[in-house]
Amino acid sequence: ISGLFRNVIGGKVLTKQDLEKPMKGMEDLLLKKNVAREAAVRLCEGVERELIGKKTGSFESIDTLLRTSLSSSLTKLLTPTTSLSLLTSITNITTTQQRPYTISIVGVNGVGKSTSLSKLAFFLLQNNLSLLIAACDTFRSGAVEQLRVHARNLKDLSDREHLGRVELYEKGYGKDAAHIARDAVAYAKDHNFDVVLIDTAGRRHNDARLMSSLEKFAELARPDKILMVGEALVGTDSVMQARAFNAAFGAKRGLDGFIISKCDTVGEMVGVLVSMVHATGIPVVFLGVGQHYGDLRTVNVGNVVGLLMS
Amino acid sequence: MVLQDLGRRINSAVSDLTRSPNLDEKAFDGMIKEICKALLDADVNVKLVQSLRISIKRTVNFKDIPPAVNKKRLIQKAVFDELVKLVDPHAEPFKPKKGKPNVIMFVGLQGAGKTTTCTKLARHYQTRGFKSCLVCADTFRAGAFDQLKQNATKAKIPYFGSLTSTDPAQVAAEGVAKFKKERFEIIIVDTSGRHRQEKDLFDEMTQIQSAIKPDQTIMVLDATIGQQAEAQSKAFKETADYGAIIITKTDGHASGGGAISAVAATHTPIAFMGTGEHMLDLERFSPQPFVSKLLGMGDVAGLVEH
Ligand SMILES: Nc1nc2c(ncn2[C@@H]2O[C@H](COP(=O)(O)OP(=O)(O)OP(=O)(O)O)[C@@H](O)[C@H]2O)c(=O)[nH]1
Ligand SMILES: Nc1nc2c(ncn2[C@@H]2O[C@H](COP(=O)(O)OP(=O)(O)OP(=O)(O)O)[C@@H](O)[C@H]2O)c(=O)[nH]1
Ligand SMILES: [Mg+2]
Ligand SMILES: [Mg+2]
Repeated sequence: ISGLFRNVIGGKVLTKQDLEKPMKGMEDLLLKKNVAREAAVRLCEGVERELIGKKTGSFESIDTLLRTSLSSSLTKLLTPTTSLSLLTSITNITTTQQRPYTISIVGVNGVGKSTSLSKLAFFLLQNNLSLLIAACDTFRSGAVEQLRVHARNLKDLSDREHLGRVELYEKGYGKDAAHIARDAVAYAKDHNFDVVLIDTAGRRHNDARLMSSLEKFAELARPDKILMVGEALVGTDSVMQARAFNAAFGAKRGLDGFIISKCDTVGEMVGVLVSMVHATGIPVVFLGVGQHYGDLRTVNVGNVVGLLMS
Repeated sequence: MVLQDLGRRINSAVSDLTRSPNLDEKAFDGMIKEICKALLDADVNVKLVQSLRISIKRTVNFKDIPPAVNKKRLIQKAVFDELVKLVDPHAEPFKPKKGKPNVIMFVGLQGAGKTTTCTKLARHYQTRGFKSCLVCADTFRAGAFDQLKQNATKAKIPYFGSLTSTDPAQVAAEGVAKFKKERFEIIIVDTSGRHRQEKDLFDEMTQIQSAIKPDQTIMVLDATIGQQAEAQSKAFKETADYGAIIITKTDGHASGGGAISAVAATHTPIAFMGTGEHMLDLERFSPQPFVSKLLGMGDVAGLVEH
């Protein structure tokens, strides 16, 4: 941020006027990092509230004060309040309830749902879990074959490296996704799988018909976790995407976390994390950083904040 | 719909100003601020918005407008012109010729909608009397060939691809040669998604391009793209020199400002818009009617001549 803000040094009580220009610089910085304007403005307002009336320390510039304040706001926003350990949650369910743990993946078209699902599968296999992948995108051409290839690749990998077991559950195209999901979960229970990973069709968040079918889907599949994939490339639409999907599963159920895919395509412009978390308060569980199975990461908040502030 | 919100907001900022009793400089600055906010919310590139702000200010030059001049008209025209400049690169997209092979190569970021759109476009030309076909040169993505095959079959369009080859340039060359021999007029080549940060993927794009020498390269851009639009579209332009853009997913809620920034950054026209997941969801695009519709001003077309 350096250089953008007017530097006032030492022992001054800050007024709204002192902050006006530097705040604008800070907002522009966030916008350039692909943070939605709504979130950028809110964050800046928070920083401004905190700083007005504050006295700068000796040799402390407005610049430093702002940086510290923004950086801690971002850190607070992006740091999850509950533990996100997926493996712990899975073991809890499989041991105490003797049933498979169910994860469904949702999101708009082309963001990387099926690929993220496969990466997640790879991660779980490495932890020696047995997986059933349920092909519940019964709409998009090639969706079933795409998962079949992933399931086959993952199986080969697992066999070679003695990892967990993986199988594909599919009923072709055209059929109702919610029913296939329910049947897959039942099949997994009968065949002692630890985890069911359910892929779903991409849908626009403003398509009322497709969005409303998610409620029935959640009712029948009863997922333990619903993860939404959002891509790092998306702009302001991220806010509405996150809110709409969070609201789509009925009054009792929301999203449990985000996977932000395609982080490797945006460099420092990782603002989508801020936009989506800000819009919903739901944590980011994983980041996608490439097109290969190993390209899934947990979030390092310090890193992300560093990119945003650079 | 794409840009509808943006249009409404810009329009109301302009008419709020022109309707206000004291049309002074402060009100004028307020209007510019409103317009810039609307553009930023629509994902227009931040730097582009900054230069647009300066440009409108300079054209209108509020302080020095003689009292006799119709301020309202002047301001409206300035805003309209700037917006048209954004989406109108004054270049015509390529028009295929009948009776000869026209090879069209699709490029773009991962998941933008290339595979879906190439069938839509093949079908578009097919119904206009061109003998059309599809080549799948995506040897990377799982199920890519199945996806294209299923779409092509539904649209009754001949296709070519390989389930085993891992060399997209070779598959592309084979497919194009075969269809040229069979006297196809529109040969559309689908490629894998890629991005500027991976040099290997860009090199691969160059290799495919030199193997098939397309008459037209088209960049497919997702209407929801944000601030990365400019950098990515520029990098694709420098490497693949595409001559047209297709914006997809315009049936979503996004404003498409990212895609517009790509047009502005690369001086490349938008040729079509994708408006849904189905085969027929493709519309032609032309900038001026688009902006007038966007601004909801029936009379702006007249303004342009002045
Ligand atoms: N660079 C990069 N590409 C990714 C990443 N995740 C997914 N992709 C690519 O994005 C494209 C779309 O991925 P899919 O997994 O098919 O997306 P989807 O959301 O399932 O798509 P639909 O089912 O059609 O809605 C593919 O080319 C993937 O390889 C990532 O983290 N980085
Ligand atoms: N709503 C909507 N969805 C679209 C449109 N165009 C494509 N899609 C969807 O977007 C998703 C991705 O489309 P693809 O055609 O697979 O994208 P791609 O660019 O070929 O993806 P990669 O080959 O993985 O890079 C699919 O779910 C499509 O159905 C559109 O105009 N509107
Ligand atoms: Mg998918
Ligand atoms: Mg494709």
